[in-house]
Amino acid sequence: DGVAVLPAPQNLSVQSTNMKHLLTWSPVIVPGEIIYYFVEYQGEYESLYMSHIWIPSSWCSPTEGPACDITDDITATVPYNLRVRATLGSQTSAWSTLQHPFNRNSTILTPPVMEVTKDGFHLVIKLEDLGPQFEFLVAYWRREPDAKEHVKVVRSRGIPVHLETMEPGAAYCVKVRTFVKAIGRHSPFSQAECVKVQGEALPL
Amino acid sequence: QEFRFGPCRVQGVALQELREAFWTVKDTVQAKDNITSVRLLRKEVLQDVSDAESCYLIRALLKFYLNTVFKNYLDEAADVRIRRSFSTLANNFFVIASKLQPSEDEMFSISESARRRFLLFQRAFKQLDIQAAQTKAFGEVDILLTWMEKFYEF
Amino acid sequence: CISGGLPKPTNITFLSINMKNILQWSPPEGLQGAEVTYTVQYFIYGQKKWLSKSECRNINRTCCDLSVETSDYEHQYYAKVKAIWETNCSKWAETGRFYPFLETQIGPPRVALTTDEKSISIVLTAPEKWKRSPEESSISMRQIYSNLKYNVSIYNTKSNRMWSQCVTNHTLVLVWLEPDTLYCILVESFVPGPPRLAQPSEKQCVRTLKDQTSALRVKII
Repeated sequence: DGVAVLPAPQNLSVQSTNMKHLLTWSPVIVPGEIIYYFVEYQGEYESLYMSHIWIPSSWCSPTEGPACDITDDITATVPYNLRVRATLGSQTSAWSTLQHPFNRNSTILTPPVMEVTKDGFHLVIKLEDLGPQFEFLVAYWRREPDAKEHVKVVRSRGIPVHLETMEPGAAYCVKVRTFVKAIGRHSPFSQAECVKVQGEALPL
Repeated sequence: QEFRFGPCRVQGVALQELREAFWTVKDTVQAKDNITSVRLLRKEVLQDVSDAESCYLIRALLKFYLNTVFKNYLDEAADVRIRRSFSTLANNFFVIASKLQPSEDEMFSISESARRRFLLFQRAFKQLDIQAAQTKAFGEVDILLTWMEKFYEF
Repeated sequence: CISGGLPKPTNITFLSINMKNILQWSPPEGLQGAEVTYTVQYFIYGQKKWLSKSECRNINRTCCDLSVETSDYEHQYYAKVKAIWETNCSKWAETGRFYPFLETQIGPPRVALTTDEKSISIVLTAPEKWKRSPEESSISMRQIYSNLKYNVSIYNTKSNRMWSQCVTNHTLVLVWLEPDTLYCILVESFVPGPPRLAQPSEKQCVRTLKDQTSALRVKII
């Protein structure tokens, strides 16, 4: 193990949005040299039962940039300890550990992007693919006074999904939010989008 | 989507994550188990478990996995993929076990029946060398997850 | 025979669809085309002995139907095969632990379509579990996988649009379609759970009937 002459990375923090978790830190600067970083994690179980065990991150063992996508490493809704060290050749820094363990239930959930279209009288919605953790609660209603709101849970991702068969001449509105089952939380609703259906063929 | 082991409800676990975690190491882990004539999670342990029994049984099994199977299973030399899958399974079992609160006033016969099933599993485990038994129990997580899935509301 | 005198068969795996479990393998390296024969054995995890299948002893094809032997889908199995050529034979080549309940592919449902002017009714029949003989009563895969669902994809060839619907029951009526339009339907079974290879149904296309009211309108004007 090389002597720790390199300074340990500082200012570790995690930014998490829509269950995508990014660990960042301040880079260690050695003019003219490329610094590599190693990231490791341990979940609550390891920290309680086998605290000596750390697991190399899936994508950052090593990595060049002062950031690491740890999404594939955080696979349970428990607090995770994270640590980073810098290396330059045989020189390694001390480990720098995230001050507060990270739990994915703190992720920021944003309203999903949706595309509302129609195929003749069929109301169709296409939702962005946010990954297998996400379900979509789609609320839709006919634009008229005292309209009844319908809700449908959609799990298909990235493909157009049939919502409703519409009445000729009517207008329908749709809004959607995400639900992440693993953390039991919703995002806010998106803005509503409306489509109008062509009228029926001219009567006799 | 949640587990419903009789009166015990558990949310916050995506069963698919556990499946995928085990799936990536299934062949590697099961290939280390050379005692193919022994199956720990036999039919007598898991078949026809009533809802009322299920909470007792799953809690006993998960606690055993957390305290005995997983605890000394890993060492620093373990294959990285196995360590990752191990971490996913151990931490999610930890979440489930911590949320299971079987009711105290359930009929004694129910908890006793669950206990007998668990003892079948535990006895078979203890008849093996500890490391072989841990390897076998880890290799049977697909059997355990398949049984747990019967109590999962999609 | 002299064991180990031949290289082992390779790529030994189970191909499993609707619980029809076929063991398949490739000839040993360098022996393609030689008069090699094979012998298969199987093993039930947790039991004591390797078992033989007489119909797969000294065969020259590179597959063996083990559906009967592996029909208890809650059990787990191993299978192994060795190659024999003249007085030499290979060591056994063995599969990993095969778990039919988790690993079988779910075949597509049977799809029946009927149309009228503005609607298509879709009737789905769940895929059937493999059975030993035609006389045996059929078991639907839905009886094994109660959370079996279908992904129905509908493609409007006129508007060039596609949309899908996830259904659990066996009938789906698409109404308010465009008359005299060719629609193509594709249906895929799926079971939430472990990653399974999916087999979509054959694409079927039907044309909705001409709109009788506009035809009538033309006559009257």
